[in-house]
Amino acid sequence: MKKIIISTIAVSALLVVTGCKTDFDTDVKDIQVTKGDADFTKYISLGNSLTSGYRDGALYSDGQNESYPSMIAGQMKLAGGGDFKQPLMPNNVGGFIGLPGFPGKLTLQVVNGSLSPVESPAAATLDNVSAGRPYQNMGVPGAKSFHLVAPGYGNIAGLATGTANPYFVRFASSASTTVLADAMAQSPTFFSLWIGNNDVLSYATNGGTNSQTVGGVTTYTAATVQTGNLNPATYKSNDISDPNVVGGSIKAVLDGLKSVGTTKGIIGNIPDVTNIPFFTRVPYNAIALDAAKAQTLNTSLYGPLKSALTFLGQGNRINPVTAGNNPVLIIDNKLTNLSAQLTAVLTAGGVPASQAAFIGNAFGQARQAKQGELMLLTASKVLGLDATTNLPPTASSVFIYGASFPIGDQLSLTSDEVNSIGTAVKAYNIAIKGLADTYNLAFVDMNAKMSELNSASGISWDGVKYTATFVTGGAFSLDGVHLTGRGYAIVANEFIKSINAKYNSTLPQVNPNSYSGVKFP
Amino acid sequence: MKKILVSTALLAGVLSYAGGFRVSLQGVKQLAMAHTSAHAEDASVAFFNPAGMSFIPSKLSIVAGGFGASNKVTFQNLNTLQSTSTDNPLGTPIYAAIAYRPLKNVSVGFSFTTPFGSTIEWPSNWEGREMVEKLELKSFYFQPMISVKLAPWMSFGASYIYAKGKVDWDKAITQFGGEININDDKASGHGYGFGFYFRPDEKLDVSIAYRSPVDMKAKNGTATFKFPSASIYPLLGLDGAGQDKFTATLPLVEEYTIGLTYKVTPKWLVSADFNYHGWERYSKLTLDFANAPIGNQADPTVLVAPKNFRNSKTFRLGTQYMFNDMIFGRLGAYYDESPYTDQHFIAETPSFNTFVVTGGVGLKFKEFGVDIAGGYAMPQSRDVKNDYLGFYGQAKAQAFYFGLGLSYNPF
Repeated sequence: MKKIIISTIAVSALLVVTGCKTDFDTDVKDIQVTKGDADFTKYISLGNSLTSGYRDGALYSDGQNESYPSMIAGQMKLAGGGDFKQPLMPNNVGGFIGLPGFPGKLTLQVVNGSLSPVESPAAATLDNVSAGRPYQNMGVPGAKSFHLVAPGYGNIAGLATGTANPYFVRFASSASTTVLADAMAQSPTFFSLWIGNNDVLSYATNGGTNSQTVGGVTTYTAATVQTGNLNPATYKSNDISDPNVVGGSIKAVLDGLKSVGTTKGIIGNIPDVTNIPFFTRVPYNAIALDAAKAQTLNTSLYGPLKSALTFLGQGNRINPVTAGNNPVLIIDNKLTNLSAQLTAVLTAGGVPASQAAFIGNAFGQARQAKQGELMLLTASKVLGLDATTNLPPTASSVFIYGASFPIGDQLSLTSDEVNSIGTAVKAYNIAIKGLADTYNLAFVDMNAKMSELNSASGISWDGVKYTATFVTGGAFSLDGVHLTGRGYAIVANEFIKSINAKYNSTLPQVNPNSYSGVKFP
Repeated sequence: MKKILVSTALLAGVLSYAGGFRVSLQGVKQLAMAHTSAHAEDASVAFFNPAGMSFIPSKLSIVAGGFGASNKVTFQNLNTLQSTSTDNPLGTPIYAAIAYRPLKNVSVGFSFTTPFGSTIEWPSNWEGREMVEKLELKSFYFQPMISVKLAPWMSFGASYIYAKGKVDWDKAITQFGGEININDDKASGHGYGFGFYFRPDEKLDVSIAYRSPVDMKAKNGTATFKFPSASIYPLLGLDGAGQDKFTATLPLVEEYTIGLTYKVTPKWLVSADFNYHGWERYSKLTLDFANAPIGNQADPTVLVAPKNFRNSKTFRLGTQYMFNDMIFGRLGAYYDESPYTDQHFIAETPSFNTFVVTGGVGLKFKEFGVDIAGGYAMPQSRDVKNDYLGFYGQAKAQAFYFGLGLSYNPF
């Protein structure tokens, strides 16, 4: 009996002790970072605003220091990578004094008791940092695919005509050079290329319109979805590029790099641009009404308008509103313009002539938004304002943007426009994947990652949950399009994972939580 | 033969498995023998099983003791190659008990213990700071109890538990570039315990006990926010000091125990225990803030964090040898199962399947007793795969305990 007990204790102790693994198999302190089959001694990055580190509506030095290529380069250093120089902006505000359309960054401020992004004035005139060349981060905010191979894109003289880009003007080696040529001149050993977003994004962020300002008055016309037109010089700025132009431009970049011996790199596809807060922040039914307001609107506007439109065979454009959330009134440029007819019918129905003309003019191509249609973040600046004064409504306000007056065509995307965007993104991504395979490059599916960010569960990292929710989601900066430092870190990690998978390197990932997010006041 | 089967069964369990913020340090004698329970030598049996009081040899017994518990947890992230170790202070659980037999068959007693608690302190800039920077949990059980001898070989005992506790939790809110402290040192709860103690044969003691769950309710907690600027306080419904109230309930779980002690010879005894812990009750932690909309529910002031603990088991085997009337030597080993899987590993209460070896020496000077004990834990390193938190890597720990206990059995 004694022996059995003793031996049982002994055997059990022995078995348990030997079965116990108390230490790590490999301590991370002992792990060597390796470059695998790649050579990171000279890494350059090509792309647009996302590559440059643009955020909060501007390019500024703090943002640049948290660009994803800079993060990747930091990790590459652990595996023999060289220095990574960026064309830093001269200040931490951004923007260019004297250049319209280039204000400083947005900051979050308390306005009327709630937080909202407020634009800063531009902090400096356009500087030139080309003396500090070469720069390894060659991301140019606003660049479309074909801009990388467009001569004169860095020519200051081209700014007035829109053929040049001030960000490239800053560091271009000459007036006639191209982004690609300046990249080739560096003979990089490794590159990243993430381009094509702007070939569709500018269409999206402008509600599918091009604008023209004459004598201080801006008019908006429908932008073109280019197909079959392979000459981007004929495109207007917000047209959707032909997928063959995008594919062809990227191919030209890859061929150029190959010609200087740069055959190893990574290329990213482009996210469905409609997954970003700029398009998801304002719902299609952002008009909240109580029963009394709804009834007043129905009696004074929606009822007569619907009757008139029904008479004109277009009654489905407008439906009565109810208490609760109601769809925003938008302009759809695909609709037949019924301004004159509406005015006539309303006048015939007893509406005073001047008012009839005003309504007819405003509602000629108006309708209520439908589920799945997108209101732009910029729409939040006008929704609910008095349409005649552009100020917060008063008791006597009759025409309220979104509720009793349509918001401009440039502030929403109709289903048609959303579809055009989706089709283009799909075509671009097929081209990009094909090129990645043909040129035997690492490929990163940024489209999938951005969808994940836009899902309800988001992306969690060490207890911090990142989503595509505006401001509070943590991943997107105040412009609703570009990422925060933390969002860019998520991007950097996707690039790193794909680089490691393709080239058998062991670059460690970065910790998104250690970068900056939205700064609260 | 039966006993062989029992010990074999225990072994099988030990090999397959090993929690939470429970502390197995309530008796120095007991710890030295793997914290086994069927020891009715003095009042320290009270916490383990009130019924045991009926078998204490002396009519009055008083015990008290304290422990030092040192542990360190290391987490490493294989993706970023970051490695972090905790800087935990020494834990100091204490206990005291008194048992008195006013009537031949009735014993009354009182036990004071700290059965749940944990202090974990990570560097404030570590990668998981959004989950925890520092968490201090403390509980104090005050248990009046009574035991009745139903037969010369059997007793029944029951206790009422009044629990007081404290939670003090610092963590970062990185989205706002700030920190939050969650604090309530007046949490309280109620519970009960009961058990049977058998001595069918002079050689055999059997202890069967149940201790109920206690819901520690923090009814008047204070959440203190620290942001770089106070301008955001009013937007979160905080007062000028950045504070808000919260309520929460932390479950302290039930425990079922079966313990056996067999006197192989008059000088040598062997003990075994099996504990079953109802950690499944800790499925989530809900913090209900008064105003701050930092939650994740339809009501934005309610924050629910899934915990998904599971019931766990502990297997214990200990022995005592009496060298002479004065000196006792004790040894033991136990296996304690972590109450959660790798998928639910959390940094605020890190837990591992742990094998512990224990030992100690007891000295007896007539009615006085002095006991010392020590334990060395071998927590098994584990993979951390918490999808919900996006917390991935590996964790390991090391821990040791030591204790000093006094007993006084005057008559």
